[in-house]
Amino acid sequence: MMARALIVRQVVPFLFGIACFGVLVVLIEFLIKTGLINRFIVPLPSEIWHSFGRIIVEEDVPSRFLLTCTEALVASLLLSVVGITLGVLLHRITLLRLATETWIAAMASAPLVLMYPLFLVIFGRSAWTIIMIGFVAALPPVILKTLEGLAGTRQVLINVGRSFKLTPSQLYWKIFFPAALPNIFVGVRLGMIFALINIVGVEFLINFGGLGQLVNELAERYDLPGTYAAICFVILVSVVFFIVTERIEQWLRPGT
Amino acid sequence: MAAISATRPVTVPVEKAMEPILVVDDIFKRFDTQDGGLVAVDHVSFDVVPGEFLSVIGPSGCGKSTLFNIIGGLLGGYEGRVSVAGETIKGPHPSIGMIFQEESTFPWRTVIDNVAFPLEIAGMAKSERLEKARHFVHLVGLDGFERSYPSELSGGMRQRVSMARTLASEPKILLMDEPFAALDEQTRLLLGDKVLQIQQELKQTTLLITHNLTEAVQLSDRILVMTYRPGKTKRIVDIKLPRPRTSEIVGSDDFGHYVAQIWNDLREEASKGLKDDESRRGGAKRK
Amino acid sequence: MATTGNLTAAPLAARPIVSPVTWLRIAIIAAIVVIWEIVAASGWLFRDVVPSLTKIGRQLFLILTHPDFALQVDVGLGNFRLAFDLMIPEFYRHLWVTMAEVATATAVGGLAGLVIGLVLGANPFLSRAFERFLYYLGPTPKIIFFPIMIMWFGVGPGSKVAMGTISCFFPVALTAAAGMRQIEDVLIRVGRSFRASTWQMVTKIYLPAMRQPIVNGVRLGMGVAVIGTLLAETKLSNRGVGFLIINAYSTFDMPRMYALLILLFVVAIGANALVARASRG
Repeated sequence: MMARALIVRQVVPFLFGIACFGVLVVLIEFLIKTGLINRFIVPLPSEIWHSFGRIIVEEDVPSRFLLTCTEALVASLLLSVVGITLGVLLHRITLLRLATETWIAAMASAPLVLMYPLFLVIFGRSAWTIIMIGFVAALPPVILKTLEGLAGTRQVLINVGRSFKLTPSQLYWKIFFPAALPNIFVGVRLGMIFALINIVGVEFLINFGGLGQLVNELAERYDLPGTYAAICFVILVSVVFFIVTERIEQWLRPGT
Repeated sequence: MAAISATRPVTVPVEKAMEPILVVDDIFKRFDTQDGGLVAVDHVSFDVVPGEFLSVIGPSGCGKSTLFNIIGGLLGGYEGRVSVAGETIKGPHPSIGMIFQEESTFPWRTVIDNVAFPLEIAGMAKSERLEKARHFVHLVGLDGFERSYPSELSGGMRQRVSMARTLASEPKILLMDEPFAALDEQTRLLLGDKVLQIQQELKQTTLLITHNLTEAVQLSDRILVMTYRPGKTKRIVDIKLPRPRTSEIVGSDDFGHYVAQIWNDLREEASKGLKDDESRRGGAKRK
Repeated sequence: MATTGNLTAAPLAARPIVSPVTWLRIAIIAAIVVIWEIVAASGWLFRDVVPSLTKIGRQLFLILTHPDFALQVDVGLGNFRLAFDLMIPEFYRHLWVTMAEVATATAVGGLAGLVIGLVLGANPFLSRAFERFLYYLGPTPKIIFFPIMIMWFGVGPGSKVAMGTISCFFPVALTAAAGMRQIEDVLIRVGRSFRASTWQMVTKIYLPAMRQPIVNGVRLGMGVAVIGTLLAETKLSNRGVGFLIINAYSTFDMPRMYALLILLFVVAIGANALVARASRG
């Protein structure tokens, strides 16, 4: 009974979605073959499919992938350490928080990636430019989420801690931090995704490094199916990254 | 039907000979759940005559709200028939006005615009509908709050806004699902007075669904007691308290008798529900 | 109400004119300025990576006031005809181009997102079938679509608008769909019990109830539309603020680049705050 209900409610729509996607691809293939879509603007889906293998071998995709991953990892580490530290700092020093929280919120809504030419001047055309852009652009949400989590600790939990006569540092490590942890994870994950988006974007823009550059190079060579295939590959990578971080976050959040 | 010959107050012309306006005929509704099916309403029948105040009372989980949604036309897929003045309902019927248990005022509309909502839906001109809405705002005693937003009002006031909104659509039958459930006891009694006053003023046919005993006895001409799962009709009790009534009736001996009598029926069902609930929680824990 | 008013009013009089928070803010800004100027004067970093604030200020002033572009005005009204060259700072022309691109992108992407979001929010089947695509495509770097957009829409403003539109679409669609599902079920039942038509349900219940999520979605969407459009401008364009920034970079005019970035951030943050305020009013 339950299994059947589940199939009807979950699996059928899922398959329908996939099927629609498949039909769309076939339709595009057909429209290009009949000439309704210009094949010099949209390459045949089958061509894109076949250029996957070529690109992976010829363009050294594994090492590019590794480079982008390393950049994202370094940026994420910086992001977690600096962002959480600043969040804790702002929470402990109320005055500092009152003075700067609106500034940080404003920064979160500013297009910080646009500073990449500036970073280019400071760090040169190197992986550090890319890492620092990823780090800076994703920092505000990590700080804000950490702060939100700490400040949102329920008063009754703090009172429980006080009633057990915890020292301030114990109160922090036993009550505030665990209570804020789910929110902090959300912030870090958000930051990591931002960082990856910006890293790939800047790679593309400054034509340096990993997967982003791959798209740029193939586009500049007018390798149409190759460009499309590279874009599909980048999307695939970010989707996998997104799903993996989502799973990790769920796994790290007990009881929810 | 024990006391059929008892005297009835003349103000409430409830006669069995009268043509019922609402007929609920042999309603059966079952929900598909993970562990098989759940019969929410098991062949319930009753009817309501014009001007009558009928309450349906039962323990939590006896399918009262399901019945409410079926009569309101919001829930389909049941067996049996609900008809209003001889016409079988398919979906929400214009003659039935519903008042919901949950807080249901529109937070983005002022009191007057909330009350005017059904008139707006019906396409009435602005000046006309505002005038009419003002009348119903007055009826529920919220004069002076026309321009307030629901967030500025208390829970009891908000529920009165919902009531005015439903009354503004001038339904032949007023259908209420525990409209005071979220309120405290005192507010509840006073709002009950308001309902009695309005109901007597408008001779409003009313069907109240509730789990609250005092509320049911305070307001009703008849009370239908439902059993716990599956929800069946256990008994129908005539309340022969004099009209017009106010909440003062709560102190009278007759009132106490009725409450005791119905509680006797209800206790059995409520404890069944409690036991069921506890064993289910225990089962979940053992899993 | 009156008592709380009195309570807050009393200490207000006793409060110092400049609160500690304001002092701290002034102190932070002062510290940054001083450190900045020391670094600028010391020459520790490459020439002009950290230019003196006076240089940046002068550039800011020049950008905003120096008329270096001839705007050809040509208005005809009946027999009367007026044609002349109006000298304006070139920045405004580029700002206008960028703002028009972002506004178009937000309008097109936002509207499309809203419609798709409403459909997905209303229909559980379609939501289960297609929402995962949006959910997964949302957090991908949109800028890599730029080569395709150039092929489809050319090197002009069209491809920039397309980039902004793609960026804006996802957050609006996802917040609209989620917002629709968050509507209190009882409000929908109220509408149905009064027998509202589908159109009435949408205009009188769904949309007003979703006001806050929609505004949030549009704010998010506009923010990413700004990023998408400007990044595209820095990559390939001869107009717009993004072009000005990358142009300042290629001529290594650091004070000008700082000035442009400051202006850009002020406009972007201001626009965001404006949308937020509009939602509250």
